[in-house]
Amino acid sequence: MKGLLLKDLYMIKTYCRAYFLIVAVFLAVSVSSNGNIFFTFYPCMIIGMIPVTLLGYDEQSKWNEYCGALPYSKSQIVSAKYSIGLSAQILLIILSSAVQAVRMAITDTFSAVDLLQIIEMLISLSLITSSISLPFMFRFGIEKGRIAYYVMIGIACAGSFIAANAFGKKEINPQLSFNSVLVIICLAAVALYALSWFLSIKFYEKRER
Amino acid sequence: MNALEIMNLTKSFGDFKLDGLNLTLPSGCIMGLIGENGAGKSTTIKLILDIIHKDSGKITILGRDNEEDIRLTKEDVGVVFDEVGIPGALTPVQVGKIMKNTYKNWDENEYSSLLKKFSLPESKRFKDFSRGMKMKLGIAVAMSHGSKLLLLDEATSGLDPVVRDEVVEMFSEFTRDESHSILISSHIVSDLEKLCDYVAFLHKGRLLLCEEKDLLLSEYGIIHCTEEQLRSLPSEAVKHKKISPYGAEALVMRSSVPSDIRISPISIEELFVYMVKEAK
Repeated sequence: MKGLLLKDLYMIKTYCRAYFLIVAVFLAVSVSSNGNIFFTFYPCMIIGMIPVTLLGYDEQSKWNEYCGALPYSKSQIVSAKYSIGLSAQILLIILSSAVQAVRMAITDTFSAVDLLQIIEMLISLSLITSSISLPFMFRFGIEKGRIAYYVMIGIACAGSFIAANAFGKKEINPQLSFNSVLVIICLAAVALYALSWFLSIKFYEKRER
Repeated sequence: MNALEIMNLTKSFGDFKLDGLNLTLPSGCIMGLIGENGAGKSTTIKLILDIIHKDSGKITILGRDNEEDIRLTKEDVGVVFDEVGIPGALTPVQVGKIMKNTYKNWDENEYSSLLKKFSLPESKRFKDFSRGMKMKLGIAVAMSHGSKLLLLDEATSGLDPVVRDEVVEMFSEFTRDESHSILISSHIVSDLEKLCDYVAFLHKGRLLLCEEKDLLLSEYGIIHCTEEQLRSLPSEAVKHKKISPYGAEALVMRSSVPSDIRISPISIEELFVYMVKEAK
């Protein structure tokens, strides 16, 4: 799988430079934004787009066909994209956490609990973005996959709205602290990522290119 | 040993059907797969590599079933597709590094010497290459990992005549080793005629014939005669005929034609066109 990862790294170097520039600007702004979460969390969405961008270029160059002629299994081809995406997200989480720690230290508001909560939110947001989009791309290809992804997001938003209206005013469990909820969401995001990885392999194995 | 055996291969999608394909490519030989666009040539190559899944049939590559550890088999198979498939951002040097981490038997020296032979700039991006240069890079990769079988899908198209001749010569050289074989599809039939030991005609997913090239050329011929002369020939001798106000032209089996009638040699391209018309 080393060859696949190397190829994706070369592609990231060429096609994803702008993403890293935007992330750097957002992180720099987040230091002086007085804890505005948008500047901290938006880079997760941007970095989450890397595997999808790579898949788009693969499809355009017909690499996905050529790759089928190389000595790789379909599970390795899928795993290379998940591994690259995960590595980029882990780097971002480490970097963002460090930036937030610096911000807290500068503003004299350092709190280990607050930092931990930010890290938990970063992990959840990073993993959920890729978890939802990638299986669609591996199942349908980039164009159809993108449409399916938007339809899915639309359904999820509508579902959340209906659920919020139905249950929003009821207290779910007064025993649960905000931190516990974040830990649960974080663990659910990790489980969702693992499920997404597994589903993508299954979809790609069945897909005819 | 046969390099490739295909038995009763069937695959359907939409209104296309590859119907019960049977092919055998002996080791040390080159087989040309000839067919019009949409005849099923690329589909056959993708099925061999298990990139798409067959509906039924059996494919054996270098003595191994293509569903059993195909990854191991692919180490010994070099492939060049019509559109090559190398991402535009990569340079030949980067492609070499990727392939070094892909193939167990990657031969850096062979790759470098092929890049030089093909005059490919090592640091130019693939997207800036001409179609011919792209093909040449694909061929260089396919021939740099100790392949025993080359599967070439329109690999000579887009090459200028001089380079095409060089490449055809390289392929001939490759099969001088008896353990090396090539399956090549092309619509430039003249290349295949020069190169191939066997030819297979594919039309609308059906195999019209698969035969030794020299045998075909010695078996078939063309006659130009009058309509009466044509009628006097035994019916089994005439495979296809074309009658015009100026006379008749027919594809014939040489062995069934009386010796007093002059038979012209036929090219593989002419034979293919006749066979397709016959099949319609």
